[in-house]
Amino acid sequence: MVSTLNTNDLIGSLARQAGSGRVAGPRGFNTVLIVAALCSFTISVALVLAVFGVGPDFAAGHHAPLIYKIVSMLMLSAGGLLLASRAALPGSGRLTLMALLPAAVLLAFRAATDQSGLSVLGAETISVPGCILAILIASVVPLTILIGVLRLGASTRPALAGAIAGMLAGALGAAAYSLACKNDGGMFVAIWYPLAVLLVAALGAVIARRALAW
Amino acid sequence: MTVREDHWAAAMRAERRGDAAAYEVLLREIAVMLRRLIRSRLARAGLGVEETEDVVQEILIGLHGKRHTWDAARPFMPWLFTITRYKFIDASRRLSREAKRRVNLTMEEMTEIFEAPIEDPDRTLSDIDRYLADLPQGQRQVVRALGVDGATVRATAEQLQTSEGSVRVSYHRALRRLMAKSQRENAP
Repeated sequence: MVSTLNTNDLIGSLARQAGSGRVAGPRGFNTVLIVAALCSFTISVALVLAVFGVGPDFAAGHHAPLIYKIVSMLMLSAGGLLLASRAALPGSGRLTLMALLPAAVLLAFRAATDQSGLSVLGAETISVPGCILAILIASVVPLTILIGVLRLGASTRPALAGAIAGMLAGALGAAAYSLACKNDGGMFVAIWYPLAVLLVAALGAVIARRALAW
Repeated sequence: MTVREDHWAAAMRAERRGDAAAYEVLLREIAVMLRRLIRSRLARAGLGVEETEDVVQEILIGLHGKRHTWDAARPFMPWLFTITRYKFIDASRRLSREAKRRVNLTMEEMTEIFEAPIEDPDRTLSDIDRYLADLPQGQRQVVRALGVDGATVRATAEQLQTSEGSVRVSYHRALRRLMAKSQRENAP
């Protein structure tokens, strides 16, 4: 009986806070999420240009491979944004892998039609680890910002929400890094970019198990 | 179901306009529903149903803190159940962790149990004598007859040449006295 009374007291004190919540609601949350993604992408681009400089494609006005890289990673980011919003807002829709399909199709299309004959392993021996490491570095700030934004929501599956935040951060970091990347092979981009994104997703999942619990 | 959906969604919208009364009614109704749900879920999971009220309160606090994440254009019940599910899983993990800690028997505890002195029955008897010695004569006779020798109330009354009622009264007074004494002695 005592605890029932306590629950009534609790309800009374919660009810007195009516109307004091974040009035912006889910729409406000989505706005914050998109602005945060844009900001972290900008920071990532600035970091990439400062650390790695502009890649040869960009300097030579040779844009096609660069555009494929950036567009596919931005498409992946768009899918990630949709999933991140759903993961943070309970009852707002299914977490469907279909959101990632457009980016996957574009990467596969580029890999299948690439006639350049460039190696899967890139131009230099350190190309693969170098690119993966660079994408990881470019994704740190986006991941931190995005996990912070997801804390404003209510993730009911924290690790999964963190993996999605990591995927989004990795895609933004990879899009930013394409400006500096020297490797244009279709297979190279289709294999190693997504792998780097997956690593950031795994990192996000690990961090979020605690960071997104509430 | 749809009546409740509409009713609760309307109350959630009223909360956003600052309607504390509507929100309080909503929380009370949700608490009633949760109490039933959580009790049965805890029982099914083999966890203590006495934790029900705590879990209900955790869910209420959780939904209150995250109420801005409900989209007023969407159904309320799926949102509520997603939050409830998350908080229940959280609570049941904590409860089973605590249960494990309670039953966990370490090697040291085992050793302590085996090495503990076995209680001496004679000593226990002398304890009884020591306690009984403090009682007034009449009460001591009653306790010895009923509690130690195991005689019936009627036999005791006949033996002490008194009524059954007064045997019962003395017995209860004596027990109260013994209880108080033992609590005094065992207090830290």
